[in-house]
Amino acid sequence: ECNSFILRKAEPKDVSDILRLIKELAKFEKMEEQVILTEKELLEDGFGDHPFYHCVVAEVPEHKQSSDGYTVIGFAMYYFTYDPWIGKLLYLEDFYVMKEFRGYGIGSDILKVLSETAVKTRCSSMHFIVAEWNKSSIEFYKRRGASDLSDEEGWRLYAIDKDDLLKISAKKR
Amino acid sequence: MDSFKLRKAEPKDVPDILRLIKELAKYEDMEDQVILTEKDLLEDGFGDHPFYHCLVAEDASEQSNNNNGPVVIGFAMYYFTYDPWIGKLLYLEDFFVMKEYRGFGIGSEILKLLSHTAVKSRCSSMHFIVAEGNQASIEFYKRRGAADLSLEEGWRLFKIDKSSLLKMSSGPEE
Repeated sequence: ECNSFILRKAEPKDVSDILRLIKELAKFEKMEEQVILTEKELLEDGFGDHPFYHCVVAEVPEHKQSSDGYTVIGFAMYYFTYDPWIGKLLYLEDFYVMKEFRGYGIGSDILKVLSETAVKTRCSSMHFIVAEWNKSSIEFYKRRGASDLSDEEGWRLYAIDKDDLLKISAKKR
Repeated sequence: MDSFKLRKAEPKDVPDILRLIKELAKYEDMEDQVILTEKDLLEDGFGDHPFYHCLVAEDASEQSNNNNGPVVIGFAMYYFTYDPWIGKLLYLEDFFVMKEYRGFGIGSEILKLLSHTAVKSRCSSMHFIVAEGNQASIEFYKRRGAADLSLEEGWRLFKIDKSSLLKMSSGPEE
């Protein structure tokens, strides 16, 4: 039974918990060794002069801590993007609640806080990507009004990785 | 036409940026969907916290000086995003060169400058979306090493619109 949790903005002290939860989510996708981000980078990038991301964390009291001894048991990472037709958007990048704390509405509450943040900061929409096989996440979002823009508008996500960026930037005209 | 100049956008460029955004939208038959104003672009791009960055391409030729045509003939809009596994990324949002100025390498130079910006700001990658029907753009990017992550990793882009956000933020407890 877990209805005593709080949601709050992440602080610099939360950086090691954030990294732990990022790795747990990556492990769930069997990609844990692909997480090369460090606590130092998370600290500089999230809590410096210009934050590149924002986090909301879910915390439980000490006596309700996880089986492995943690009180920060969920998080969402987001940032602001820009649509040239309508302006600011809130982009949800990562969203995770530890397995033993699911089913208590923590995820729903996090999404509610994110929605409030989006409306308060005058964002027209919240965007995010979901893997096509992730049926439970797709259902979770569709229940809340999400529409699949890849389906409706044919968008595909592309990446040009660093090696190729270096090649492009060094090419003679 | 090899006398063109690329530079960071300034507040004075906002009317040209909006004009080019609308031209690109028109090309997709979506011009009336552009509800952004010059005021929004100015506040959002040149205030304390910029929500986007722009590069503009200027026609620096003699002809441009003599006639009354536009000087700003292309642009790219980008911002920084964050990958929880690797950190900072550069996200290319809009990229357009006016039709009569294509074929001179301006697009390539813009992409080169963006790549340089990405590397200099310690970004691991540049991300962007392309409509699956847009073969010309897909080829342009693939020639430069772009990989289709929707294909390789199955990513689909979703959105939750304002009315649904309002419902969620004020709605009853689940």
